[in-house]
Amino acid sequence: MSQAVGINFKKSSIDALIAGFMALILFGPIVGVVLDGYGFNAEFGRVAWMVGIVVVGRFIMSSFFQTEKGKALAFRYANNNEGVEVLPPGHKSKMVWIIPLVIVIGLVLPFIASKYILTVVILGLIYVLLGLGLNIVVGLAGLLDLGFVGFYAIGAYGLALGYENLGLGFWSMLPIAAIMAAVAGAILGFPVLRMHGDYLAIVTLGFGEIIRLILTNWASFTHGPNGVSAPLPTLFGLEFKRRSSDGQTFHEFFNLPYDSAYKYMFVYLILFVVVWAVLFIKHRLVKMPIGRAWEALREDEIACRSLGLNHVLVKLSAFMLGASTGGLAGVFFASYQGFVNPSSFTFFESALILAIVVLGGMGSTLGVVIAAFCLTVLPEVLREFAEYRVLMFGILMVVMMIWKPRGIVRVTRTGFAARKGVVK
Amino acid sequence: MSNAVVRKTLISLAIASAATLAQADVVIGVAGPHTGAYAAFGEQLWKGAEKAAADINAAGGVNGEMIKLVKADDACEPKQAVSVANRLVDSDGALAVVGHFCSSSSIPASKIYEEAGVIMVTPASTNPTLTDQGLPNVFRVCGRDDQQGDVAASYIVDKLKAKRIAVIHDKDTYGKGLADAMKSTLNSYGVKEVMYEGLTRGEKDFNALITKIRSVDADVVYFGGLHSEAGPLVRQLREQGSKAIFISGDGIVSDEFVSVAGSPKYVDGVLMTFGAPPTSYPSGKKVIQEFRDSGYEPEGYTLYSYTAMQVAVAALANNNLDPIKGAKWLKTHSVDTVMGKKDFDDKGDLTVSDYVMYEWDAQGKYHVVE
Amino acid sequence: MDIVLQQLVNGLTLGSVYGLIAIGYTMVYGIIGMINFAHGDVYMVSAYITAIALALLTFFGIESFPIILVGTLFLTVAVTGAYGWVIERIAYRPLRSSSRLSVLISAIGMSLILQNYVQLSQGANQQGVPTLLTGALRFHVGDGFVQITYMKLLILFISILGMGVLTYVIQKTKLGRMCRATQQDRKMASILGIDTDKVISTVFVIGAVMAALAGVLVTLDYGAFDFYVGFIIGIKAFTAAVLGGIGSLPGAMLGGLILGLSEALFAGLISSDYKDVFSFSLLVLILIVRPSGLLGKPEVEKV
Repeated sequence: MSQAVGINFKKSSIDALIAGFMALILFGPIVGVVLDGYGFNAEFGRVAWMVGIVVVGRFIMSSFFQTEKGKALAFRYANNNEGVEVLPPGHKSKMVWIIPLVIVIGLVLPFIASKYILTVVILGLIYVLLGLGLNIVVGLAGLLDLGFVGFYAIGAYGLALGYENLGLGFWSMLPIAAIMAAVAGAILGFPVLRMHGDYLAIVTLGFGEIIRLILTNWASFTHGPNGVSAPLPTLFGLEFKRRSSDGQTFHEFFNLPYDSAYKYMFVYLILFVVVWAVLFIKHRLVKMPIGRAWEALREDEIACRSLGLNHVLVKLSAFMLGASTGGLAGVFFASYQGFVNPSSFTFFESALILAIVVLGGMGSTLGVVIAAFCLTVLPEVLREFAEYRVLMFGILMVVMMIWKPRGIVRVTRTGFAARKGVVK
Repeated sequence: MSNAVVRKTLISLAIASAATLAQADVVIGVAGPHTGAYAAFGEQLWKGAEKAAADINAAGGVNGEMIKLVKADDACEPKQAVSVANRLVDSDGALAVVGHFCSSSSIPASKIYEEAGVIMVTPASTNPTLTDQGLPNVFRVCGRDDQQGDVAASYIVDKLKAKRIAVIHDKDTYGKGLADAMKSTLNSYGVKEVMYEGLTRGEKDFNALITKIRSVDADVVYFGGLHSEAGPLVRQLREQGSKAIFISGDGIVSDEFVSVAGSPKYVDGVLMTFGAPPTSYPSGKKVIQEFRDSGYEPEGYTLYSYTAMQVAVAALANNNLDPIKGAKWLKTHSVDTVMGKKDFDDKGDLTVSDYVMYEWDAQGKYHVVE
Repeated sequence: MDIVLQQLVNGLTLGSVYGLIAIGYTMVYGIIGMINFAHGDVYMVSAYITAIALALLTFFGIESFPIILVGTLFLTVAVTGAYGWVIERIAYRPLRSSSRLSVLISAIGMSLILQNYVQLSQGANQQGVPTLLTGALRFHVGDGFVQITYMKLLILFISILGMGVLTYVIQKTKLGRMCRATQQDRKMASILGIDTDKVISTVFVIGAVMAALAGVLVTLDYGAFDFYVGFIIGIKAFTAAVLGGIGSLPGAMLGGLILGLSEALFAGLISSDYKDVFSFSLLVLILIVRPSGLLGKPEVEKV
């Protein structure tokens, strides 16, 4: 049987032996010699297991890639063509059916789901917002931003500090935080527009870190690492607490027994509406001249400038829009968590948001939504693995990138066709 | 350590499968950093709680029902703390929670436990804000940073009679809280510190900071932080020839402090504040011996976690498993634990702070300063 | 006066360590244009291997410091180099033809894998190595003194040696010419018969070896490390690489020194609270004035 496909078992065996040898070098010291004070405990049994798994795995893999199926697979990975997929003219998106369905499910969800699931979904939606914001900057305008978490922090701290110092609540801070983040985006954006690609990345990374460090160190204003508590949204002045400090609470007004789930339902519903609004605005923006300008600038800056496009304005607008979406997400995050401190705004968070954009498929809105849910729900699902959780998360990140380097959803465009009856 | 990972997984699996067999269990969450940079402390919490649960189950459980532990990982991130807290009260149906470790996780999580009416007993979060929020269900079996700072400050002023004090912290909730508490007590004695600065957690080169300590000619260096930074700090301090007395808090209580500092000679003479030694309680001795027999050294917060579990179980057992009544009960009753009798005040803090000063010696061991 | 001089010494040694690690970032960036976020964790792995090698050597009863040093260096460099090679093979090579951002995400995933793999196999606790070399050179300046420990001298010596050898290899040998050719134009280089995949692998190994040198030296000097230690030093070294002009070897060394010196001087003379804010602001300022870093070649815009 193997004759027909022609597996060269000698080659597979050699591959497997080399892999085993490498595994021995790698796992030998780290897994086999466990440090204990200045001495060590030998654990060679574990090494033997791991090397064994690698040898067998490599043998199977090597054999598989010699079969027809394997070769086809390898060929597919070696040639993943880039670019936009163009759909036939007059293509009708299936989204027309899916969107109302998602809206209905989304509206019903808070009344049937448990509080835990609801909080995970809220977190997922917050990351959808963050992903959408960064998607404008990275996916559409092609500006690599590694400090997006800075705008997120501005929004979150804006709510917490605005409430503490100025008595501003959730509803007034929602637009103010978006504006504040946009202004910060403009301040950051202006000097860095000269830079290209990865220099831009490191400057934005520096910006994100500077914001976090200031939040940590300026203790007299931000309370440093102790953090600040943030208020919940109110429904026309009704609070979602067990007891209200002034006025009535939600459950008293409606004569309901107190349930802490109400506040999550409420946050969820507002967030749900805001996410849809942002999705809609973004969807329209991409089709507007400004959206086309972002993508054109991403593809070829020199051509755009020689055609008279004001690249400074176009880049700045992308930066500011992205930042303001990040600020919105920050307000929701602070409100949902009821407390903010600088440890929520580390570089890792920026990397996670970037992973959402890249994994979703750069520039694809649907992809961002799917990826945001994947990356927030995944760590919760992986809780079953206890201490192996983050390891699994890392492995999945690498595997997903290798499996789908262009992201989950490819960007598509509907093609054009000449209309009938038009002069040829 | 060796097979610890495997063993731990097996045990938790065993507990989990036992739980599915016996239906009515008392679910108690053990929340802490089981992954991430603070995972070592998460392990201490888990070991202590696990042992306490095993001991209590062996003695007949809580009113005849077995304790089922749920491991809840927050990685010391507030975001994850909120998620796991909701998961514990909602999906797992926990009646009490032992945890969290970091104050920045405990504070947001405590509100969720309060809303759900779940008892929270933290073995390690010493930040005053946690109990100052006025939540009825929050308790801690460790001291508060301000109590610890008081002990250190009065020791520096009364015993050491030091005049030039440099205060260093690690810019984290615990370390900075401790350093601030020490500083304010110090100032109330009329002593002004000569230097107050933060270092960055995770860095290992503090030479620039130490040269500065040298330049202000400090005779006492007070450090609010953990042993991961205290070790290199004290080593580099000695390498640069400074003879200043090094004082820190309970964040450096670990044998690792010695190995991290590079040699016992560097930790010789280092002072620290920590709760009265558990070995001074007869009930504690037995548990410590059992830990050692099983090949685990109950360091740092292990026994605090054991104690927290006992407190939570006592509250549930005496109130027909009603956590809200249990929380009220705790404020008026005392609980016998491996670390002695514990009484709580209205806020949920211990009524008696048992901080004492310890000193490290040239063998790398610590003992109470008389 | 003595304080300022002492801070200069502190900054110099810190900077040379940053420089060594920055080489890994800068070479990888130069050759395939990716930011290797797992590089800091390769450094972390090398710290563990240093401690393991030390423990093994003392277990076999070797006590003379030079033999221990050479043995540890050899073992650590060899194993860390293997890590560099395997990481590239598993996580980056399959993504050779895809966008640079995909590789970036893969690198972030790799960084998580390394951290947790080490944590699971070695435990989460803080690790340390015993002090082997003590003592210092002291110079009296005024009524104070400036000192440099023997260990710090060793750090300076080995990093200068390492950078010297690397510069020679890149400038004068066949391997170096292949590296430079691949860096300039990968497609052309492969047409001319250079196995570019092999060259890229080699670059990863070189980067890992440099990180391993830093890992051995820093671990022996500071003694303390855990599985998380690569993160901060990785970001600092990356900053250094960008500061000097990413892709440029002397730039990485210069960037490392500038970063180390500015950190030490700012922390020592002004405030250690804001030292990181200062270094990042310095970076932003330099990039605004010179958008490709100090020694980087300005990007030519092709039409």
